[in-house]
Formats: sequence, structure tokens, C-alpha cells
Amino acid sequence: MSRREHKPGTDFVEPDLPITPMLDMSFQLLAFFILTFNPAPTEGQIALALPQDTGGPSTAAPSIVEDKPLHYIIRVSAADNGTIEKLTVLEADGVNPTGRDIPASVTAFRDEVKALAALVTQSKKTGKLTLEIGEKLLQEYVVQLVDQGLRAGFTDISPVPLDKKKR
Amino acid sequence: MSHGGSDKCEPNLVPLLDLVLQLVMFFMLCANFVLEQTSVAIVLPKAIAAKALTQGETYTIFLNVNAEGKVILSPGDQYKDSEGRTTETLDNAAQVETFLKRRAREDRAAVGAAANADVPLRSVVILRVHKDCRFEKTYPIMKACRLAGYTRVQLRALFDGNHD
Repeated sequence: MSRREHKPGTDFVEPDLPITPMLDMSFQLLAFFILTFNPAPTEGQIALALPQDTGGPSTAAPSIVEDKPLHYIIRVSAADNGTIEKLTVLEADGVNPTGRDIPASVTAFRDEVKALAALVTQSKKTGKLTLEIGEKLLQEYVVQLVDQGLRAGFTDISPVPLDKKKR
Repeated sequence: MSHGGSDKCEPNLVPLLDLVLQLVMFFMLCANFVLEQTSVAIVLPKAIAAKALTQGETYTIFLNVNAEGKVILSPGDQYKDSEGRTTETLDNAAQVETFLKRRAREDRAAVGAAANADVPLRSVVILRVHKDCRFEKTYPIMKACRLAGYTRVQLRALFDGNHD
């Protein structure tokens, strides 16, 4: 008898794929992945203005048009535990070389940089903010200060060490 | 009303199976989405002004800086010292500078400008610094980036939803 021949009177049997065990397994896999699902927190980026070379004077010809940015320096002294100990605001070309102390907190820093950014906007110049940071300050505070500066409107923010020899 | 004895009433499970398998695939892909070039040991600080990551950056150099200031390279990167030993952890800024200068040479060679130091480097240096790392450790790494010729440097931070 040939293989392709059916017995007379026998109906064609449709192959029955067992779906239920497959579904059970799929549910188990699903439960496993749901329980172990731990999405990574969203990261963002902050473009950094690298510290300038400490070389000799620039060889470029001086600009005829006065387009020098308003340059502010905020000196951030750090306590031994890595927090902010003291904040001093200086103007790079200002008359007061000792600067002006403000309360040592990120909130006070925020208010100050907002005020400085408003001055920059009024003068219709660009603003530059240099953060002279104490060696012991933790990265958490460095990022907070840069963050507040960016939010205030400064785009050119350079963190440098307090000690000029280490720049 | 009578029913045929041999008739079976079975629900159609195939669409359900399709759906479940799609869900399984989704969770599998998400669960396996390991950021290969980042280090889990680094706890990043939070920042509100951090911008979304640009997807177009093809050439990146990840420097993961832990709380002690040691730089952990990406799995694909290795630092080879003068004696030929390879390591993935750099202990000081001098090693970082040597590593970045080698990468800078490779970057320039890749664009056919090996001898021209004025050609801007195509790679972006991404600094993932632990929130408890002190500035005295991070600044020399930034300086090493500049000395190696990298001008495009990014700091990584976590998005902070708490606007004050």
C-alpha cells in the first residue's frame, strides 16, 4: 500500500499543535522578565568648557570692536567633608580684588548667578563664569554649581582649581 | 436542543500567545540592554540642566571615574603601560593622558591625518564621575583631555525631576 493512500472512510486529521504548554512557558518567561525588569535611570549630558592653556599672551591681533565677555569668577572653598564652606563672587576686571562673600549654599549661589546673568543680559554682552573650586569639593556639588550656572543662562562655565599652580 | 457529542469548544489561544511572546521579547530586550561602555559602580550626581543624549555620536571615549578618582575604561578599551602590561583601570591622570594621546593618534590616523595635530578629533570624551569623587581627582582628568587634544568633553549626570 502506498503511503499517500488513506484508508477508505478515514477523515483527514488536522495536526493539533499544543498551544497551552507553550502559553504556560511564555507566561513564566513573562513573569520572570517583569519581576527582574529594572530600567537604568536616564542620563543626561553637560557640555564642559575645558580650562584654558596657561601659556603666554595670545598672538592674535586685538579686536577693534569691544566684544569682551563679562567675566565673573566665583570662588568656592570646600570643607573637609567635601561640602561648600565659603562662596566669594569676584569680577575678573572688577575694582574689588577681594570679592564679596555670599552664604555658602547652592541656593545662594543660584540667586547670585541669576543676578549676574541678568547683568549680562542688560549689557548685551556674552557672559563667562569661572568657578574656582576647592580641591576637596565633591563632584555632586561641582555638578550642582555648573547646573545652576547653566540654568541661569551662562553657557561658558569653566571649573578650575583654586590653586593657580594646578591649572 | 442537543449538541453533538464529539464537538469541542476551545478558545483560540494563538492571538494570546502572540501577544505574550511580544511582551516577552520586549522585556528580554530591555533587560539585556546593558550599557556596555558604562560602569554600574559609578553613581552619578543629579542635574536639571543636563541635556538629552545625542544619538548621533558614533565615536565616544568613556572615562568612568569612581569615588577614589580611579578611571575605569570601557570593556573594549585597554591601557598598555611602558612594560607592556594591560589594564582597564587607570590610577592617575598621567596614565589617562597617555591613554588619550594614543586614542588621539588613532583618531587622526582614521581620518588620514596622522601627522596633522591641528585636525579636530572626531571622538567625544564622556566623563562619568562618581558623585563622591573630589575635585582634586577630577580636574587632572579634564586637564589630561585638553592636553591630549580633545576639546569636546561631556559630563554625565542623572536627570533630576525636582525643580526648585
